[in-house]
Amino acid sequence: MSDDKKMKQSWEEDVEKTKKRFPERKETFKTSSELTVDRLYTPAQEDSHYHEEIGYPGQYPYTRGIQPTMYRSRYWTMRQYAGFGSAEETNKRFRYLLEQGQTGLSVAFDLPTQIGYDSDDPMADGEVGKVGVAIDSLEDMEQLFDQIPLDQVSTSMTINAPASILLAMYIAVGEKQGVAPEKLTGTIQNDILKEYIARGTYIYPPKPSMRLITDIFEYCQTHLPKFNTISISGYHIREAGSTAVQEVAFTLANGMAYVDAAIEAGLEVDQFAPRLAFFFNAHNQFFEEAAKFRAARRMWAKIMKEQYGARNPKSWKLRFHTQTGGSTLTAQQPDNNIVRVTLQALAAVMGGTQSLHTNSRDEALALPTEESARIALRTQQIIANESGAADTIDPLGGSYYVESLTDQIEKEANDYIERIRKLGGAVQAVEEGFMQREIHTAAYEAQKRMEAKEDIVVGLNEFQVDEEIQADLLRVDEALEKSQIQKTKQVRKTRDQTVVDGTLGALREAARSRDNVMPYILNAVKAYATVGEIAGVMREEFGEYTGM
Amino acid sequence: MKPIRVLIAKPGLDGHDRGALIIAQALRDHGMEVIYTGLRQSAVQIARAAVQEDVDVVGLSSLSGAHKSLFPKVVKALKDEQAEDIPVIGGGVIPAEDIPFLEEQGVKKIFTSGSPTDAIAVYIKQLFAGEAVQEPKRIAHIGIAVEDIEEALPFYQHTLGLSLESVEEVQSEQVRVAFLKIGETRFELLEPLSDESSIKSFLTKKGPGVHHIALEVDDIHRRLEQYKTQGVRLIHEEPKTGAHESQIAFLHPKAGHGVLFELCQPKE
Repeated sequence: MSDDKKMKQSWEEDVEKTKKRFPERKETFKTSSELTVDRLYTPAQEDSHYHEEIGYPGQYPYTRGIQPTMYRSRYWTMRQYAGFGSAEETNKRFRYLLEQGQTGLSVAFDLPTQIGYDSDDPMADGEVGKVGVAIDSLEDMEQLFDQIPLDQVSTSMTINAPASILLAMYIAVGEKQGVAPEKLTGTIQNDILKEYIARGTYIYPPKPSMRLITDIFEYCQTHLPKFNTISISGYHIREAGSTAVQEVAFTLANGMAYVDAAIEAGLEVDQFAPRLAFFFNAHNQFFEEAAKFRAARRMWAKIMKEQYGARNPKSWKLRFHTQTGGSTLTAQQPDNNIVRVTLQALAAVMGGTQSLHTNSRDEALALPTEESARIALRTQQIIANESGAADTIDPLGGSYYVESLTDQIEKEANDYIERIRKLGGAVQAVEEGFMQREIHTAAYEAQKRMEAKEDIVVGLNEFQVDEEIQADLLRVDEALEKSQIQKTKQVRKTRDQTVVDGTLGALREAARSRDNVMPYILNAVKAYATVGEIAGVMREEFGEYTGM
Repeated sequence: MKPIRVLIAKPGLDGHDRGALIIAQALRDHGMEVIYTGLRQSAVQIARAAVQEDVDVVGLSSLSGAHKSLFPKVVKALKDEQAEDIPVIGGGVIPAEDIPFLEEQGVKKIFTSGSPTDAIAVYIKQLFAGEAVQEPKRIAHIGIAVEDIEEALPFYQHTLGLSLESVEEVQSEQVRVAFLKIGETRFELLEPLSDESSIKSFLTKKGPGVHHIALEVDDIHRRLEQYKTQGVRLIHEEPKTGAHESQIAFLHPKAGHGVLFELCQPKE
């Protein structure tokens, strides 16, 4: 049998298998004119380039997608990032979003939580509950997931330096609900390298941070086999001003650094690699973005198979979440942002994303109101249900333009990865500020182009109108900080301090040794030790990162 | 002139520093000396850095929503360091309705999302340019275009009774000029020497009449510099030599709402 036929047959067999578990949404898909929509369109004559570089969905190198039937069976997970103020308030928003048809949760934590400070720490002044929910102790986490069954929703948590603490809290809440850890599904971001590069919520220096990450990999392998242990993020790299090529290159280079660290820690690549997840941005240039996702998927497959010798196909598959580009939103004429988000979301769907967050129109001004958050979710539902974009797999595949962009992005990103390799890998490159400088240069160039009107941003440097101040914005109650502090003081009063001290002492010992810290953190969390106390012990043991 | 020194600071825990870095770079490109604090600075740290680095202005950036608490704290910390004369400006994700509160708390100016970096640079330059350059002192002269000086002179000399001070040729402008003293100022009669003269084209288009008003200024270089940064349209970005070896430069008539203004710094 020719290569053509073999590859196609292998895919068709996979389709049949997949359909048994995830039947397609419809018996037949049709356009408005009653034209039948095929599952996949391929070239009339398949050549070696098609076989090696493009191939079939669910087949190496996954350029056309990681599942054999893609959205014909199931849409992407619609996962809106939410969180503000207190745990009770965020719990209400979560339940609202689930009622509205959202299919997964995504928790935004406030900055003190993300940097390992309790709400009453002087460093937390003014920041409590502002950009996300304030979590100090297990009690807050219990309230956050009140009446949300953890065996039925998957939860993504944007938490990095203290990822182990929040994951431990999630495990503890699950146990209280009677859900065993092995049943928990979700993702922790846990990607410290991009914090140094672009996002800024680091705590410890790179070395102990990498150890915490591999400790989580190891722990989850046995205890939370369905949990994504990391979400290697290009999102924030892009938001910091990188190009699409840089986003792919730096993200995959960081991914390789985590794989290296895990292998170094003695883990088996095919054990942990299937649980690595990715997180990308969707910006405005529709075709480049769609091509970017396709290129990233192909690159990671090659890296894992060829460079790391992974044999489990699950290790080759780049699964990713996408968020539309926050920095593309304008404070001017905010309703225009709905249109931007629609185009970006469509690019993510064309690129085969596994889950998607669509930004709200008012996010250049403040956190989204409930109405804005609903429009953002509706945008995804319209793309899924009304546009027909999800009815055939990889609709842009085979476009001369998109295939050419995919090849070029792969090539240029590979050049960057090679440069990073020569610097000694991503950790070294981050410490030397290489990525930071490259991103800053790109960001500054973009700003200059915009100010010179070479790049037009509608409503910002062209097509402006005189507009009124938009008053209908979400406000975090300033009194929240005080009440959250009170609540945490109360928790400290009512818990058994001896148990807390004991678990924190044990954690300190573990941090000094080479033991996996996860079980010790779990014990401390269950004793109602706070995020600040647990992170504080590790701060003392690991030191703090102070920037470049 | 000593360059303006700026401290760009990130108060609080916010890690978004794309904007802060871009502004730092843009201000450097505008000739300022910029110190960037890095992330997670307390108000006291920022105030101390401002004093230590002897900066002229502090720029704060916050995208986390903590500006209402953090920005006023920096203003206060500067006061505690006896450095309340250092103006504080800010930017980030800041709803317009918060701006009056922040200004009331002593923040000098807020630039919200989408502000061009040039506008920020111009604003800072103005903060400091305003002190050195004084307003024009008087009208140096009123320029009047004439076809022929000899023909026009009898009206000024005999009818009005003014005295002729001097007649000279200004080659750079291809004009011959006559000055007639009136009180503290003068009339300047301008006659074209050739078809290239701008006075010639003025006469062709509009006929004889009032051509321009010249303002006597000091420090013409800095004033032009200041106008440039303010975006005032200029005919001459650099001064040139005019009558009596004075330094002159013309503003664009669009800038003067239809009046052509000349800046004129007399020879010392």
